Amino acid sequence: MAIADYLVTDDLTILLGLIAVTVFLLHNLYKPQPLVHPILLGRQSDVGRVRNPGESALYRNYNTGLLGRFAVRPEKDINVLSDIVKSDFDTPRTLWSSKISNAQLKERISAFGSGLVQFAGLVPHEDNVLLLLNDSLEFLISDFALASHSIPSFTISSPSLLSPVLESHPPSAIITHARFLPHILELIYDAHESEHHTIIVVGDFDPNAVGKAGDVIKVVKWTDVESAGANGEKITSATPSPDDVFTVSFFASDTGQLQSAHLTHANFTAGIAAVRAMLPLSKGIGSLDTIASAHSLSTSFGRTVAYTAILEGCSFATLDSTQLFHIEDAMLENNVADILSATKLSIPSPTILFIKAAHLQSLSSSITAEAKKSFLLYSFANRHKLAGMAEGFITNDSLWDRMVFHAARFAVLGDYANSIRTVVVSGPIESSYLTPARVALSVPLVNSHTHPLAAGPLFATYPSDVQTFPVPSQHTTDPFAHIAHVGSPSTNVEAKLVGVNDESIENGMDPVGVLMVRGPSIGRVLGVGEASYVEVPSSSDEGWVGTGEKAKILANGAFKILAGRK
Amino acid sequence: MGLSFDLGSPINTALLLYILYSIQRIFFPTISTPSELPHEFKSGYSWIPESHPPTLLYKTYTPKTLEPFHGRDGGRILLAINGIVFDVTAGRSFYGPDGMYGNFAGRDASRGMAKQSFDMEMLTPIDQPLDKLTDLQADEIENMKGWIDHFSNKYIICGELVENGAA
Repeated sequence: MAIADYLVTDDLTILLGLIAVTVFLLHNLYKPQPLVHPILLGRQSDVGRVRNPGESALYRNYNTGLLGRFAVRPEKDINVLSDIVKSDFDTPRTLWSSKISNAQLKERISAFGSGLVQFAGLVPHEDNVLLLLNDSLEFLISDFALASHSIPSFTISSPSLLSPVLESHPPSAIITHARFLPHILELIYDAHESEHHTIIVVGDFDPNAVGKAGDVIKVVKWTDVESAGANGEKITSATPSPDDVFTVSFFASDTGQLQSAHLTHANFTAGIAAVRAMLPLSKGIGSLDTIASAHSLSTSFGRTVAYTAILEGCSFATLDSTQLFHIEDAMLENNVADILSATKLSIPSPTILFIKAAHLQSLSSSITAEAKKSFLLYSFANRHKLAGMAEGFITNDSLWDRMVFHAARFAVLGDYANSIRTVVVSGPIESSYLTPARVALSVPLVNSHTHPLAAGPLFATYPSDVQTFPVPSQHTTDPFAHIAHVGSPSTNVEAKLVGVNDESIENGMDPVGVLMVRGPSIGRVLGVGEASYVEVPSSSDEGWVGTGEKAKILANGAFKILAGRK
Repeated sequence: MGLSFDLGSPINTALLLYILYSIQRIFFPTISTPSELPHEFKSGYSWIPESHPPTLLYKTYTPKTLEPFHGRDGGRILLAINGIVFDVTAGRSFYGPDGMYGNFAGRDASRGMAKQSFDMEMLTPIDQPLDKLTDLQADEIENMKGWIDHFSNKYIICGELVENGAA
């Protein structure tokens, strides 16, 4: 029969048939599982059912829910700052370049604290101290010591704010570096000074330079204060209440106006809880981690990251770009070299990086440029990575990584390439480099949003979220089109937008307005000066704080926030 | 007996083509993004819902503007207790036109809730001022507050009720 002639089978058929079945199974069933189920990514926030006119509905993190209570502390017993240094944790860890255990740290803190009260003559509850230090162990010790004696500390986020702060809020004492001392003395002379000042200097200073200070200003060495406290009697003050304001962080608003955020112990414990919640429970921050942070300790978020590291027992260091006070006009840029600046310190290779958007951009372009050197393999590897991401999966240990990307990462980051396991980025990331960055790093990347007013992060994405949305072409007037979303509000933050167009919302458009937030990790803002911080047509009572930033909410509950500040 | 290989036979050709095609798909996976953003999670990993979750606008109602929301036309059903307006569309079986408590739809139900009665006498006509509830006993006020709690948990608070000229 003619048909039978066509359907002749032979051994080749059997062979090809087996191969075909294998290939079929391989192609159709070997699809990687998404790291986060896409259902969760479609509903990242819990949305309120009712909204006031001119405002959006209330948005909270989906895991917290509209009825959930906000986490105020990371663990049961952490109520005030001194609880963060746990006494039952013995292993020493490296902070910047010093290897120190919790017991030694507590001792140094109490010694310095006693020295402050006795030797430097500071009075708890009455005096306040301006911390003008670059990030270092001395900063942390001074910070904890001041907090334990309820002496409020001031920090400024940039050196240009120094003279306004000295004029409007003259502190009783200043802690600073030796090389900054002449500048400080000059500023104090320029401003009116009828008050006694004490200056505690880290490092060695020239006594002659101080001589002309006269009786008005008393200059002492940091190490002298600490040893006086260690050798003298230990002074303990009453434990502060978690709602006591223990630090005021001065920062400049986008209009350049001086603002101050009053932060309490409770703000920071809530902030630590929020930072911990950014990473999944199974891969959270633990004592084996090392954290490198690009956020200065003079900012509220930078301090929260440092406190989280201390609570968990990790080694910790900050990058060079956090240095606020440097005499040389060295331009400290946020790039790969900055990340590698941590190699100068003796911390182990960092496992978790808290960096800014510019660092990420620099990292991704360097690694991609390195990887492109093996041209043929790179296009293959890139293609497979993107295909994996389209299924929701990414890993830094796949075949393609071993062939192409490991070498590229090693060339750019050296030893850090193998140790980094999570990266938390703060600041708006542009969609143009988000996907290349995810491919280049292939580790969980958290896109977060922080603000000087809040101790903890305000918004954060799921760490393993690799959704890629199409980037519109260049000519669109929508300012939100080119930035990536920052996810849902943090676990203990609720957010809403004010100043929204009711009609467009009723028609189903995305709400666009000014962001207002509320939560236990957000401090109180007081504007210094005449104009109010932000003109919004809504209540500043009930604890809502305006951040002054424009935001847009997507249909999946994620927020896109424009950078109000750098 | 040797193995016979005949690549020219149709079945073999078809199988070979299929194998080559699949291998090509495995080694060169498609990375083109779909032209339209998927709105279902089954259609793609990078999806986004079609629309935002529905929210109600908090409005100020007067007895006259509240009355149209009686649900007889299949629309939303609202009722007010003590000046708080609840959206009870979810409870159409109770408060809809055929429901046991259908009298209250679109009206101020405060007195009825307090006195635990669904008679028409409990309702104030629309063009008259709101019921001041001054002659209610303490336990009736308590009862009304209990109903307010029940409604707050079960239904959505979507507005407030003010006098006819005040909105």
